[in-house]
Amino acid sequence: MITLKGIPASPGIAIGPAYIVSSEGANFEKKKIPPTNVEWEVRRYQEALRLTYDDLTKTQSNAKELFGKNFAKLMAAHKLILQDPLLVQGVIDKIRKEQINAEYALFLVGQEVNTTFEKIKDEFFRERKFDIADVAKRLYDHLTNKQQNTFASIKEPSVVIAHNLFPSDTIHLKRKSVLGFATDIGGKTSHTALLAQNMQMPAVVGLSQATTQIKNGDLIIIDGQEGLLIINPTTELIALYTKRKNLIEKEEKSLKTISDLPNETLDGHKVNLYVNYDPRRDFKELDNFKSQGLGLLRTEFLYMDKPVPPTLEEQVAVYKKAALRFDTRPFTIRLADLGGDKIAQFSLAYHEEEANPFMGCRGIRLFLKYPALMKTQIQAIIKTASLVPAKVKIMAPMVSAAEEVIEVKKVFEQTLKEMQAQNICPQNKIDFGIMVEVPSMALTLDSVINKIDFASIGTNDLIQYLIAVDRGNQEVADLYDPYHPAVLRMINHIIQACHKKKVEVSVCGEMASDPELVPFLVGLGIDSLSISTRMFLRIKNTLRNLNFEDCSNLAQAAILMGSSDEIRKLNEKHS
Amino acid sequence: MIQEKIKIKNKLGIHARPATLLAQEAGKFKSEIFIAKDGIEVNAKSIMGIMMIAAEQGAVLNLTINGEDEKEAVKALKNIFDKIFEEE
Repeated sequence: MITLKGIPASPGIAIGPAYIVSSEGANFEKKKIPPTNVEWEVRRYQEALRLTYDDLTKTQSNAKELFGKNFAKLMAAHKLILQDPLLVQGVIDKIRKEQINAEYALFLVGQEVNTTFEKIKDEFFRERKFDIADVAKRLYDHLTNKQQNTFASIKEPSVVIAHNLFPSDTIHLKRKSVLGFATDIGGKTSHTALLAQNMQMPAVVGLSQATTQIKNGDLIIIDGQEGLLIINPTTELIALYTKRKNLIEKEEKSLKTISDLPNETLDGHKVNLYVNYDPRRDFKELDNFKSQGLGLLRTEFLYMDKPVPPTLEEQVAVYKKAALRFDTRPFTIRLADLGGDKIAQFSLAYHEEEANPFMGCRGIRLFLKYPALMKTQIQAIIKTASLVPAKVKIMAPMVSAAEEVIEVKKVFEQTLKEMQAQNICPQNKIDFGIMVEVPSMALTLDSVINKIDFASIGTNDLIQYLIAVDRGNQEVADLYDPYHPAVLRMINHIIQACHKKKVEVSVCGEMASDPELVPFLVGLGIDSLSISTRMFLRIKNTLRNLNFEDCSNLAQAAILMGSSDEIRKLNEKHS
Repeated sequence: MIQEKIKIKNKLGIHARPATLLAQEAGKFKSEIFIAKDGIEVNAKSIMGIMMIAAEQGAVLNLTINGEDEKEAVKALKNIFDKIFEEE
């Protein structure tokens, strides 16, 4: 038995056999291709060749600037390898002759080349086999379209172990066969972790060595609460964790009984409780409890995993289906927050090869560079508002200066006018709001407060930008600290700025879904909390057991403190 | 079909850069172009193929060119070999 300590990413307990997703991605499974599909398989390979070529061209031009001529030359050599008849015609011939899948044909050719190269006397040429392997790997990645197929091949309910999972991978973890996951890298609030929480899947990240210490089929326990991973546990431990797992499930059941009770503290202070949602998920689960509205629709996911951006009609179909579940309640659609670690599959020049994507072209910055993309989404939102009784709201992400807010609002108002001229009229006034997640916008909120109807604090990004800590980097993940006094002071500042002009302010970041932190937010006077579906009833339960006056005292004391240790101690005393 | 014998004259033989040059040049022609050394024949348009025969100084290569533009191809390839040999 070995116990590894990582970062708790999503609560819950999972017990099951390990399924390792190799970081090499090399899972060369042989598949027979029916004769009628062989040409399709060839085309699939040709498409992978093309994508890999584009890939190398991009790397090549960037490489020149960053690493100098020699590296660029190496990429040129890789391109030549990619165009080599052995890799092009050689693999295609194999697909046709043996009627096998492209991956396996590539694997076979790679093996043949490798054997021949091993025999080369010249050391320099012999070593080129690594370059060939590198090119083959790129090709393979394009062929498999990352790891979605890898997950599809999971046959029994398993615990997925991977070096790293991207948000696009996470969504492919099929709930029915994946019990939970653990990764070597990553932090608590990486988007991968957030997705796990939304999928109610126990997860531990930042384990450093999990993939090297675990073998396929090892029995694994994931403790998403404590951030533990246990390899081949003792029978006593399995029994203990099974008991705890059942207890958690029982608790979840009992939470359902408070679903219809009011969202207020013991002393009657009301806080709106909204829900955050990923539009790719099945909206049916929203019927499990009654929220006061949708506080955040993460529309960027409609733009990922697709070769082209969603059309107006496609968007309206999704928004409408979801909004109808909210009758006349608020329904907040955030303009797509693409960028950072959420990259669209279709090509966007501003996205490519950013050295620092979280500080690069993401959110509204990207949309302002692609006005057509933004316009389509705004049109889709207005159209939806004309079709549903819900109170549709529009929210701009990642704004950092007043000019951006003014610009987006201008486009919104102009689009609204155009559509009204075509008789497409919203059933309710569409509120316009912004995400407050960049410190510069938080500090100058007064400059735009008259132009917005509401504000929502994205605490994850706010903390990351405020403390200058990459939330996906496990080396510094412990510095990412919602208890940092700067965070609470900043949130206090934002709430004050909004309340001065009676603008509704909510928190839609991770802090709103953390029972330990909710007392501070309530105490600072937050109007609304937007919570992940999984944590909704738990947070409601927390709220209903709070005393507003106590929270207020707690928060006021905390913002005067100088360190997160002091604030943590204060919180322990309080609870 | 044209056949030519070429003796490698330069010290380093067909090294990385020459191999690249050769494959690139051969790739410009429609003709089939093969290089043989010690009984191993490879496609001259394939950089991997050329690397596999790793021709050192003194080695003799058999060049076989077959196709509509074979005359132009043989001329161009001989030029490339001359260039390669001049370099060192």
